[in-house]
Amino acid sequence: MQKWQSWQSSRPLRRTSLSLSSGFWHATGRHSSRRLLRAIPRHVAQILQADVLWQMGHTGSGVKVAVFDTGLSEKHPHFKNVKERTNWTNEKTLDDGLGHGTFVAGVIASMRECQGFAPDSELHIFRVFTNNQVSYTSWFLDAFNYAILKKIDVLNLSIGGPDFMDHPFVDKVWELTANKVIMVSAIGNDGPLYGTLNNPADQMDVIGVGGIDFEDNIARFSSRGMTTWELPGGYGRVKPDIVTYGSGVRGSGLKEGCRSLSGTSVASPVVAGAVTLLASTVLNRELVNPASMKQALIASARRLPGVNMFEQGHGKLDLLRAYQILNSYKPQASLSPSYVDLTECPYMWPYCSQPIYYGGMPTIVNVTILNGMGVTGRIVDKPIWQPYLPQNGDYVDVAVSYSPVLWPWAGYLAVSISVAKKAASWEGIAQGHVMVTVASPAENDSAIGGEMTSTVKLPVKVKIVPTPPRSKRILWDQYHNLRYPPGYFPRDNLRMKNDPLDWNGDHIHTNFRDMYQHLRSMGYFVEVLGAPITCFDASQYGTLLMVDSEEEYFPEEITKLRRDIDNGLSLIIFSDWYNTSVMRKVKFYDENTRQWWMPDTGGANVPALNDLISVWGMAFSDGLYEGDFTMADHDMYYASGCSIARFPEDGIVIAQTLKDQGLEVLKQETAVVENVPVLGLYQTPSEGGGRIALYGDSNCIDDSHRQKDCFWLLDALLQYTSYSMTPPSLTHSKNRVASPIGTDRPLPQRLEGNHLYRYSKVLEAHLGDPKPRPLPACPHLSWAKPQPLNETAPSNLWKHQKLLSVDMDKVVLPNVRPYRPQVRPLSPGESGAWDIPGGIMPGRYNQEVGQTIPMFAFLGAMVVLSFFVVQLTKSKSKPKRRKPRVKRPLYLQQQQQQTPHSGKTPTV
Amino acid sequence: MYYVQEERTIRDRTLLEVRGSDHPIQWKIKFLLGNSSRQISQCRNSIQGKRLLTDELGYVCERKDLLVNGCCNVNAPSSSQHVCKSCLANGCCRIYEYCVSCCLQPDKQPVLEHFLNRAAEGFQNLFTAVEDHFELCLAKCRTSSQSVQHENTYRNPQAKYCYGESPPELLPI
Repeated sequence: MQKWQSWQSSRPLRRTSLSLSSGFWHATGRHSSRRLLRAIPRHVAQILQADVLWQMGHTGSGVKVAVFDTGLSEKHPHFKNVKERTNWTNEKTLDDGLGHGTFVAGVIASMRECQGFAPDSELHIFRVFTNNQVSYTSWFLDAFNYAILKKIDVLNLSIGGPDFMDHPFVDKVWELTANKVIMVSAIGNDGPLYGTLNNPADQMDVIGVGGIDFEDNIARFSSRGMTTWELPGGYGRVKPDIVTYGSGVRGSGLKEGCRSLSGTSVASPVVAGAVTLLASTVLNRELVNPASMKQALIASARRLPGVNMFEQGHGKLDLLRAYQILNSYKPQASLSPSYVDLTECPYMWPYCSQPIYYGGMPTIVNVTILNGMGVTGRIVDKPIWQPYLPQNGDYVDVAVSYSPVLWPWAGYLAVSISVAKKAASWEGIAQGHVMVTVASPAENDSAIGGEMTSTVKLPVKVKIVPTPPRSKRILWDQYHNLRYPPGYFPRDNLRMKNDPLDWNGDHIHTNFRDMYQHLRSMGYFVEVLGAPITCFDASQYGTLLMVDSEEEYFPEEITKLRRDIDNGLSLIIFSDWYNTSVMRKVKFYDENTRQWWMPDTGGANVPALNDLISVWGMAFSDGLYEGDFTMADHDMYYASGCSIARFPEDGIVIAQTLKDQGLEVLKQETAVVENVPVLGLYQTPSEGGGRIALYGDSNCIDDSHRQKDCFWLLDALLQYTSYSMTPPSLTHSKNRVASPIGTDRPLPQRLEGNHLYRYSKVLEAHLGDPKPRPLPACPHLSWAKPQPLNETAPSNLWKHQKLLSVDMDKVVLPNVRPYRPQVRPLSPGESGAWDIPGGIMPGRYNQEVGQTIPMFAFLGAMVVLSFFVVQLTKSKSKPKRRKPRVKRPLYLQQQQQQTPHSGKTPTV
Repeated sequence: MYYVQEERTIRDRTLLEVRGSDHPIQWKIKFLLGNSSRQISQCRNSIQGKRLLTDELGYVCERKDLLVNGCCNVNAPSSSQHVCKSCLANGCCRIYEYCVSCCLQPDKQPVLEHFLNRAAEGFQNLFTAVEDHFELCLAKCRTSSQSVQHENTYRNPQAKYCYGESPPELLPI
């Protein structure tokens, strides 16, 4: 009965510690059934050959490493050098009640049993999570300040959350790295869905770590690219930076002994421990900084075959190669990725999945510049585009934008690639490079104002094809998709109560990745519109695809779209639910921000969509429907969608029998509604006019929480819109009904008092109702003046891109022996915790980990309960923590938040 | 439909204890009164700045005007000592480096001592570990739990670095 009354999360909305808290293990155990026996070495430090560095006398001494986690008990037998433990929570203890912090500290610095990487490092334990895994930004801020004062060298954050717009937190992480603290953080456990990167691991100045299993597969749980800060106008950066073991890794138990744990929470301290050990090997510590360490890690990483860069970053951590690179390091700038080969599959997915052509939206590669020379830097003059004439480089146009100041230690270099007009019907490969010079103040230079410089080349290789015919070209509207953060944009599927926010970016390369791959496999070319509808040439495209749009529309956009469709552009809209009563119902108290959250739209912004399509006599309703049905012999699932309220009489409308989910949410009553119009097809009447297709639910083409895909339907709709072929399976369907006139029920109105204007690019606050802003200018790229070269590039760009001036051969390693399990002395009573060395049965492997996971699942569930409390009625269920309440009126003021941010964020 | 936003701070996070100085934190800072124009051969400085730095003598300068010894070149046009540029009357500044420089003014010592004697338990770790006026100003000017509302938003994004006792002014979201 309470089903719809609580809107709780099993995954804390914001920052959460990143061990696996639910039954992921069974999913990641896919390889356990494949082999009968396999020797799986268990000690992660030894698998990564830390013992080679130990034998050379490097054990982390002199390096201060901070663990921000759930604490550590005072007399844990695994640790020899705990310098300080501090508590930043509201619980009066320094001890770990969960085991998470102990495990993480153990991976970094345990000296026995399950050995860590740097047993002699100076451990600083910061307890920032309560035993209920509760934490707040303010606790982190104060603890971070203390870490800066204590001159911490390496800081592990096995935590993360989706809120990259938590400015106080993001700014503080920048401040830490600016003070030379090397930040290592877990990329998140929200895989295999794309667009699930966690903050702060997604920051350029932080080493973001993903997880793999012991057979070098990307762990299913590991969050993956791209970053979504840059949407809609730009393109995401590559993250994670590197990957390492994060599945079934052994580490210190709560009181003693060892246990196994999985999650990027585990992978992060593997890297933090390795970084601590590496820092202790460097004689001139001045050279070690957040950028040089990251440069060494990514230049030495081993690329995993068959995995793209948005899953593995630069590849798998290689400790010994990183040691060699770091110990021959000279301060310099480098690029991530270090080259752009749009033909290389699968590593450069999605770039390699679609060739470029004249007239297409420019392909943007958002490269990160790492600057090991200093915390601040700048780009000297302008980056130069040098096409290789023998390799058709002059068929490519390049525009570059970049951070005005590279701070802290990093900045962006956004490379927009386009095809020159003279190659409009040409097919082939073109190459060149972008050259960029970075300068930093020379701190050890006696000449005042002296600078160090470093010049880096970014090789570029693209495949060009003749411009495809209009019918094959689809334009994806990104501009009108809004997401969390900053606003509360609810999930499109209301059944997914444990993941209430729409936070994956709604991009063809994040949570619409499967749809994109499907369209590519059908021969369509898909481009992304990151600007208003007024900013594209409609004569180039067969279909404009709008899915689950939350944004409003400029009046000029509405006018332009009408004209475009009169002139032959077609439109497909996948809408979603919008019901103001339900929106009020799914309001919840967010413990993280200590305030009530009310959605600013429904799943989609139906009132805005209705403004867009009203000229054709079409509208969506505020009905909310759910259910299974069959359409054209395909099983379909309608997950919280709306219906079509109005449609032209001569259109084709398909109706289905569905459950009234609105009634279920609001009154916990079940009712079945027959003849709910879900699909409409319409040929506009003007000569050569385009076609319009509407569908009331987007869940079946969205990767997140999708139950049944409907790519067949998308194919059929595209056949109709792009080729004017009416699908007989739909037109002759028994479910075809007369077009709804929709005069019986008023169309949905915008939720009164909603705050969409705070997050909207279209609306701004006014006394009374928000009004549209002036239409912004369309983005304009200034193409770099080419400086052609008469040279050719090597055929394999990757192998030739390494850090400069590094002579790894000079750094000698002692006889590197293959891994041999080392038997350590056990203290009494520990033998039970000792693992069976050598091979183990996969079944046991599974089972053993299974013992630790449920505890976390249970604790996770506990957190959840304390995290969100939904207001049932005003008199009922007030959250415990809410005590003093200062009532304040709402201010009609444009949110300030965006302003300071835009100066610091790469908005490419 | 309006909903109420609430302003709430956790009690043990407030900078100033209501109960007064029953158990003042054991701070150990040594103020070097009137010595800020002393000659020293090496300077600590604020390290982090994008463009500006403050050295321990209270000079603010651009990075390019920093000497090898970590001090600002006092002769450079960009350098000036004890500047409170961008700081408001409540002791909160827009720019971190000016907050530190202003805080290093000798006449700020009574204000700093006053707040040290009343600093809440939650700040005990930090302010018992700072050793001198410069470290105190570096630490005090940083954003902290005092700087935020609703956890993820600054109280005042335009003046968030405070050397004084009061938190930044609370602006509406």
